[in-house]
Amino acid sequence: MRRRLPIIVVAAVLTLSAALAAVSFGQSGEYKIGVLEPLTGPLAGEGKRHMEGFEIVRDMINERGGVMGKKLVFAVADVPDPTSASTEANRLITREGVKIVTGTFSSRLCGAASEAAARHNVIYWETSCVDPRFNKRGLKNVYRTEIDATGFGWYNIEFIVKHLAPRFNLKPSQLKIAFVSEDSSYGQGVTESALARAKELGLQVVTPTPEYYNFQTINDMTPIIVKLKQLNPDVVHHIAYTNDAPLFWRQAREQNFQFKALVHAGATGYGGSDFGKAMGNDGNGVFALLEPGPGFKLDSLKPEGQKIEKEFRDAVQKRTGSYPFGAHQLAGGGLWLLKLVLDKSQSDDPEKFRSAVMSMDLPVGTMINGWGVKFSETGQNSNDRVQHYMLQWQNGQLVTVWPEEFTTNRAKWIPLGAWDARK
Amino acid sequence: MDPARRLGRAQIDVFAQLGVSTILLGGIYALIAVGLTLIFGIMRVVNFAHGEFLMLGMYLGFWAFTLLSMDPWFVLFVSIPLFFGIGVLTYVLVMKGVIHASHNVQIFTTVGLSTALQNTALVLWSGDFHTVRPWHALRPIRMLGTAFNLSQVVAFVIALTLTVLLFAFMRFTHTGRVMRATAQDRDAAILMGIDTDRVYRITFALGIAAVGAAGVLVSPLYAVYPTAGLQFVLLSYVVVVLGGLGDMVGALIGSLIVAAVEVAGSYWFGTAWKEIFYFLLFIGVLVFRPAGLFGQRGAENLGV
Repeated sequence: MRRRLPIIVVAAVLTLSAALAAVSFGQSGEYKIGVLEPLTGPLAGEGKRHMEGFEIVRDMINERGGVMGKKLVFAVADVPDPTSASTEANRLITREGVKIVTGTFSSRLCGAASEAAARHNVIYWETSCVDPRFNKRGLKNVYRTEIDATGFGWYNIEFIVKHLAPRFNLKPSQLKIAFVSEDSSYGQGVTESALARAKELGLQVVTPTPEYYNFQTINDMTPIIVKLKQLNPDVVHHIAYTNDAPLFWRQAREQNFQFKALVHAGATGYGGSDFGKAMGNDGNGVFALLEPGPGFKLDSLKPEGQKIEKEFRDAVQKRTGSYPFGAHQLAGGGLWLLKLVLDKSQSDDPEKFRSAVMSMDLPVGTMINGWGVKFSETGQNSNDRVQHYMLQWQNGQLVTVWPEEFTTNRAKWIPLGAWDARK
Repeated sequence: MDPARRLGRAQIDVFAQLGVSTILLGGIYALIAVGLTLIFGIMRVVNFAHGEFLMLGMYLGFWAFTLLSMDPWFVLFVSIPLFFGIGVLTYVLVMKGVIHASHNVQIFTTVGLSTALQNTALVLWSGDFHTVRPWHALRPIRMLGTAFNLSQVVAFVIALTLTVLLFAFMRFTHTGRVMRATAQDRDAAILMGIDTDRVYRITFALGIAAVGAAGVLVSPLYAVYPTAGLQFVLLSYVVVVLGGLGDMVGALIGSLIVAAVEVAGSYWFGTAWKEIFYFLLFIGVLVFRPAGLFGQRGAENLGV
């Protein structure tokens, strides 16, 4: 009898998993995709907003008949760190039987998650991480709808040289710029690409090695600020992640560190809603490269883009009571694009899906966020199609200020005045 | 040219500023570490949930300010008895059961408690970052070429007072003597008729009251969110080891040393180096002076 026990156990497990598989494949009216999201841990705040963006656009998709004739549903997994991103991706694929995995908000998570999906030859559809290494690993079924950090750095320097420098009455070669950044692949990616571009255009870089720090353990920014004060930059290029943004801003004010502008990129740090809540009017003047915010002109888009963008904004307004934040827009834009691809491929077969992705060619202004579509062979949507915008904190709100043809708002406080005079 | 090498008036201001930052940052670390060193020193329990009690204190500061417009300085008076109560409750419900168990069991228990508290906060109050902005948090004080803010100064003064009070309590009261006796030899203490269970209960409650107060005081300085405790708790272990287990004054000096390493390291070498420096210090102390810089030789083995 003792010898038979293992066999019985194995048989029971097999039967059970077969039954489970039958259940998950049996719902013919639904199409399930895997969603990886940091819903707990240090990224939980933005992760939840990102999830809201997915849910809002999922409902919009289902109102239009879903994907491949089926109702779109999610199998959601909480992934607070890279290890869980990998194990949960495995679980969604092997247990839930999903053929498409999406997520993850963060550059800390997307690498591990997509690696796991690639091992199973499943489609991985990233909507927001910006780690430049993501699409350079030769993984065939891994796609990203958002631009990467190199694109962020490129846009930021574009803004500084074309918009800020003339308003400071400085030539690019006279403009002094300092780089400060958190040290994850996201911060480093944006910073290194902006630094390279700044050197190319002849800006005076006063921090040849950027000031990197760990956003989870930094408790005092004063030493960095004291050092920067001596270097006297015109522009501070600071990529922050979470609470490091209000900490830097508060302590810079304490130290009376005067600079002409601070520029950030991404939906974290200065680009997240928490910065506005923390600082109120004291946050006035900070720039963050993002998806469009208030002031964004609908009529600057193509007709189909106007329609879908308006519907998306209204849905977010209805659910959250506010204009969409970066995390909503990245998730929303990305999932909408997945629907367009599936409409075309009508299949989750990796080969058919890939040829549908590669054949997509939509100009700027046709999608949510005013985006367009054109993927490269590496599975990366292109910089010039995924239009980005410079937003500025003005009286507790992030508003679109650049490029000026897309917005009704104008950038203020250039250069930044004394700390108490930015009302 | 490296700004650090330029000399003159400006450089003197820089040194003054770094000095002031060190003292104020050290004050915050001391505030957090004092409760930990008490529990660690007397109960010989590594409380991995220490950071989460700090986080709860920060939330208390946040909610009292948001809902009742109460200044964190007033909330402090409420927080001390409240967290003393929470400490007693936690001891009775959780710690009492594992106080005689092996270190492994204690570690699993406190790590479990830490995760449970973090996730309770997440469920109740979401993962958003909250900020408390009483009038003193944004009030810079400028003096002799240095700048700092009032909330930090008060946190430092209270840290100092708390340390002195706890030190005096341990040294001069009967209960303090009983607590020290228990720390030195649990079995002998029991033979002398000391109710060690009561000693542990008081110790744990005092430690939690101290860290709760710390949480309220740092709430205007740092963002309040469910994992806010993590960024401080690792540091407090370094501080406690530096200062010697159960040594209040050692904790204060240890905090200043850690803050000095952090501030100077960030300025001269870059912030990325700060953890390398103080963990080297940490390992150095463990190797050469395992009882802490100021602890008595052999104290590390007592009661373990």
